[in-house]
Amino acid sequence: MEVPTQPLLRLRDLSTDIALRRGAVQALDHVNLEVRQGETLGIVGESGSGKTMTVLSIMGLLPTGGRVVGGEILFDGRDLRGLEAQELRRVRGVEMGMVFQDPLTSLNPTMRIGAQVAEPLRVHQGVGKAEARERAIEILRRVGMPRPDKIVDDYPHQLSGGMRQRVVIAMALIRSPRLLIADEPTTALDVTTQRQILELIDDLREEFKMAVILVTHDLGVIAGRADRVAVMYAGRVVETATTAELFRAPRHRYTEALMRALPESAESGRLYSIPGLPPDLSRPLTGCRFAPRCGFATDECRTTDVTLTGDAHAFACLHPVTDRATIAPSAAREPSASGAAKPILTVRDLVKEYDAGGAGLRRTAARVSAVAGVSFEVKAGETLGIVGESGCGKSTVGRLVAGLEPPTSGEIVVDGADVTTLDRAARHRMHRQVQLMFQDSYAAMNPRMRIDSILTEPLEIQRVGDSGARRARVSELLDQVGLPRRALERYPHEFSGGQLQRIGLARSLALRPRLIVADEPVSALDVSVQAQVLNLMRDLQRDLGLSYVFISHDLSVVDYMADRIGVMYLGKLVEVGPAHQVVRAARHPYTQALLDAVPTPDPGRTADAGSAIRGELPSAVNPPTGCRFRTRCPLAQDVCATEPPLAGGTHQVACHFPLRQEAAAGA
Amino acid sequence: MTTQEEAEPVRGMWRQGLEVFSENRLALAGVGLFVLLAGFSFLGPLFYQTDQVHTDLTKVFLTPGTDGHPLGADGVGYDQLGRMMLGGQTSIVVGLAAGLLATVVGTVWGAIAGFAGGWVDAVMMRVVDAMMSIPALFLFMLMASIVTPTVPMLIVIIGAFAWLGPARLVRGEALSLRTREYVMAMRGMGGTGGRAVRRHIIPNAIGTVIVNATFQVADAILYVAYLSFLGLGVPPPAANWGGMLSDGLSDTFSGHWWLLYPPGIAIILIVLAFNFIGDGLRDVFEVRLRRR
Amino acid sequence: MTRYLLARLGQALVIVILVTLITFVILHLLPGGAARAILGKEATLQQIASFNHEMGYDRPLWEQYALYLRRLVGGDLGYSFQLNQSVAEAINQRLPKTMLLSLGSTLIAVVVAVPLGVIQAVRRNRWPDYTINGLSLLAYATPIFFMGLMMIILFSQVWPVLPPEAPQGFTMAEVLAEPAGLVLPTLTLAILTVAVYSRYIRSSMVDNLNENYVRTARSKGLAESRVIVGHTLRNGLFPVITLLGMYLPALFSGALVVERLFNYPGMGLLFWQAALKRDYPILLGVTLLISVATVAGALVADVLYAAVDPRVRLKAARS
Repeated sequence: MEVPTQPLLRLRDLSTDIALRRGAVQALDHVNLEVRQGETLGIVGESGSGKTMTVLSIMGLLPTGGRVVGGEILFDGRDLRGLEAQELRRVRGVEMGMVFQDPLTSLNPTMRIGAQVAEPLRVHQGVGKAEARERAIEILRRVGMPRPDKIVDDYPHQLSGGMRQRVVIAMALIRSPRLLIADEPTTALDVTTQRQILELIDDLREEFKMAVILVTHDLGVIAGRADRVAVMYAGRVVETATTAELFRAPRHRYTEALMRALPESAESGRLYSIPGLPPDLSRPLTGCRFAPRCGFATDECRTTDVTLTGDAHAFACLHPVTDRATIAPSAAREPSASGAAKPILTVRDLVKEYDAGGAGLRRTAARVSAVAGVSFEVKAGETLGIVGESGCGKSTVGRLVAGLEPPTSGEIVVDGADVTTLDRAARHRMHRQVQLMFQDSYAAMNPRMRIDSILTEPLEIQRVGDSGARRARVSELLDQVGLPRRALERYPHEFSGGQLQRIGLARSLALRPRLIVADEPVSALDVSVQAQVLNLMRDLQRDLGLSYVFISHDLSVVDYMADRIGVMYLGKLVEVGPAHQVVRAARHPYTQALLDAVPTPDPGRTADAGSAIRGELPSAVNPPTGCRFRTRCPLAQDVCATEPPLAGGTHQVACHFPLRQEAAAGA
Repeated sequence: MTTQEEAEPVRGMWRQGLEVFSENRLALAGVGLFVLLAGFSFLGPLFYQTDQVHTDLTKVFLTPGTDGHPLGADGVGYDQLGRMMLGGQTSIVVGLAAGLLATVVGTVWGAIAGFAGGWVDAVMMRVVDAMMSIPALFLFMLMASIVTPTVPMLIVIIGAFAWLGPARLVRGEALSLRTREYVMAMRGMGGTGGRAVRRHIIPNAIGTVIVNATFQVADAILYVAYLSFLGLGVPPPAANWGGMLSDGLSDTFSGHWWLLYPPGIAIILIVLAFNFIGDGLRDVFEVRLRRR
Repeated sequence: MTRYLLARLGQALVIVILVTLITFVILHLLPGGAARAILGKEATLQQIASFNHEMGYDRPLWEQYALYLRRLVGGDLGYSFQLNQSVAEAINQRLPKTMLLSLGSTLIAVVVAVPLGVIQAVRRNRWPDYTINGLSLLAYATPIFFMGLMMIILFSQVWPVLPPEAPQGFTMAEVLAEPAGLVLPTLTLAILTVAVYSRYIRSSMVDNLNENYVRTARSKGLAESRVIVGHTLRNGLFPVITLLGMYLPALFSGALVVERLFNYPGMGLLFWQAALKRDYPILLGVTLLISVATVAGALVADVLYAAVDPRVRLKAARS
């Protein structure tokens, strides 16, 4: 690719503050970046790193109280900060386009799609109504929208998340911008949709010769899509290089730590985790901002301001990485449960159906089939991972197993007793055996209770011990999850996300259960904190002999955590087997498509275009008969209209045309 | 994502709430106003004694400042300043009592409807809808024309119809709190519905109820004024600010301004005070839950 | 959509029936029983007995209620012996005047409150917001009759441009012939309404301005005025339609006070005079009619809302 020498956009010492009720947060501190025409710049960082603030500063969309306080934003040689308001609006409206994180809320709910997409043309170029509509249809077709001539007259809530994101992209593209900014464009989407959207952005960049800034927390997304990468931490760019160079040889200690914290790079079964938390940017800071968490920091790091140095590969670190780090393929986990272990949980033909919006007088016959005949077992000391995209029924399975809802039919056998047939008292005792861990521990804790009450509650409910014994147990739990005793007197809102997950874990351990159902326990966490929580979960499993049902949409996390993996699609378990076999030798076409869609932090690897699934997830109100995946399956034939049984030995699949034969047992 | 765990001392919920409340200057002003007006009405008579039972026709319409009557006297010779104190007692007591009654009845009704759900909820809420569709003043007057208004009766009448708002509010809260994840988490430990109500739903709904109660008090004071204006207030020698104000209305055109403005301003101030306090309390219950 | 309409209509019908039940119960709670309350203290025992028989008040309660409902459906709201006129007729003469007052003040209130609320939301937590907020709180805290009196003092005495009394004409034409007399009552009622509406519009607009779609609109390089008028205002005003319905009971209560203050011969004044004379047929008839008007108004508002907001419209259409 021919890269022009003059950058299209250049940030020079950009600093942005956000005023609070008291004081201000220094969100950006002397950020230097550049992006050339036709190039994709990836900006990667954890929450609070300033990556989103950087692009919002460029677009002039800072939240209330936000203000650019220093530096230059040079677009095509002109400093945007010096432009007249009207010209600035024109530059931002016509020459730049932006795609936002949450497509569900990014569109005006009461405006027709066509009117929203064409609005920039109408405003900036004075295009007439009829022509604007034609242009909108044209651009919607270009972004892969089915039946664009119909959709122009629709409203946003009539479209799925992926489709809405296409609309947002179309809206950005209709002005033929020279710079496209995508802020976490796929974070709210499922992996298969994510892949479609990222490919679309790639294609469009080439076709329109745009510069693209791709902001994400996901190193995998960056590795696959960006030409160059800037790593941000605590409001600063700490390292910038070409993608290949950065992933081959990261130099900044933070970049290195971030990569080693990925589940994909787990060595010897343990994740590298960065201790501590990012600094509070509302307080004055000196020296390298990563120093308090860095194992290589010296006094010099803490006192001198380290600046970004170097040309092609610049980094701001006094003690950079010198040896070459490589991302090792995920080490297969030693199966922790022997084959002979007794099952702690057996689920047979589990079915859960809900009434479809049958509010008030209209009680229609429509039923949502959330879980449709799922069977599996979990052995003592084992982790069963359940993966699938949103709406596949994995969380419902978790809630049913944890006894939060009764199943429509089927058996849930915990420790030899079928939960669904137990009397009240026995079911009450059953809760000691099975506990639930939530994705959002903040929402799962009563905001008006102190941590000691929160941790004591399960003991009170199950009448375990006297108050002295309970106090002792609570202290023990805090030690187990590595939190100080002081935490007991505090309220949930005083803790960070990672700390809350630890407290949530402590609470689910309080009754000494044998099985914990963890529903997306790390999905809301940053990579470095995620590693801390995952390590803790595995340590406790080893020490206490726990079993987990680990539910997640993130295949790499499940791969790291689970002994066996079950894959769900639209209420059905389509494949289940040993983790390494499911991930490396998938038998179901859906599993393969899911695996191929996962972006990996390895710039050398390219996805096989053939396996990508097209189309949208069918409705669970009237799911397809037979194999539920057949409407989107590249291999589907007539026979798929009959339901395939889940068949096989240790690695089972429900497919008439499995991709592979089962590997020899014990492979 | 950071916590100030190391730096900040442990503070209780009440401390934090008090800090938020005292940051709201209007809320503090509201408390100040209320203390001032309540002190004037209840403690004032200890220092400034007047005869508010026997009329004195020699003092009819005395202008302020004459004959030891700083605010003059009214049409039957009652000292106006002393009458303001007496009237304030009634207005504040009726407002507080009726607001409290409405809050208690409404909370119980709304909570039962919200927890029971289904048909019980539908029936209970249709009753609320039906009563709400009868404009309050019409209903009050209808009731007041059937029974003779006395102070306790006034409290019952206003309380008996003002509970509809809190009932709707509490039902909505109950419905939404019932599905919170922390209630789900508690059920996952084997907890019962009763525990959910006691430990989780009531403590979290109480804030909304308290905030609403302050607005109920303000509204009740206004209702007393309206009923008095419509001729269905408490008969003399009892007095309340609303009644004094509506009596003062007819005197305005004779130039007896001191019978109009003092009660008018007093009502405005006390209603404002409760609204300020309510706004401040709302901050307290919201902000201290806000993450970071 | 038709399903939604039918469901909502059914709900309104249930509420109306419940309201008739309430008035029926009150009728039987009246001092001395319904007959004495209606005929007056001087009625003889024989008059009462024959009246009871005629009205069916000697039959079982449920039958009485059925008769009551049947009379209502037939438009028979009772007879006022004090006015020597049927209740329906008395109401008929005054209802249009109350409607004129209510609609007029609502219209003025909306026209004033929308820009106020929008200014507050756009300039939130700055002086325009604080000023408007303070004024609306003040208006809310002032008893409406005190406010009306202030208006009379200001515009009829200090600066005598408007009459202090409403038009006394018997027919609508006569009332409309004196528009100046309508100004103060309408404005007085409007001020309180503005206070309520502007607070509501402010919070609705603030919610909408914090939505992500506003950021998307800004990213298109739109002028701030277009972002607010073209994107936020529509969405912020949709819920106001339902507020118009919800506010009706308070509006009618306000009208009652205003009519009494300005001596405006509408439903409120009729009701007030009836209350002083304990004229129960009028009291119950007016209460019932006002309530039905409230229910109908809320119904219209909800249906209108469902018809204009695509989110509700299409959701309702699908189910």
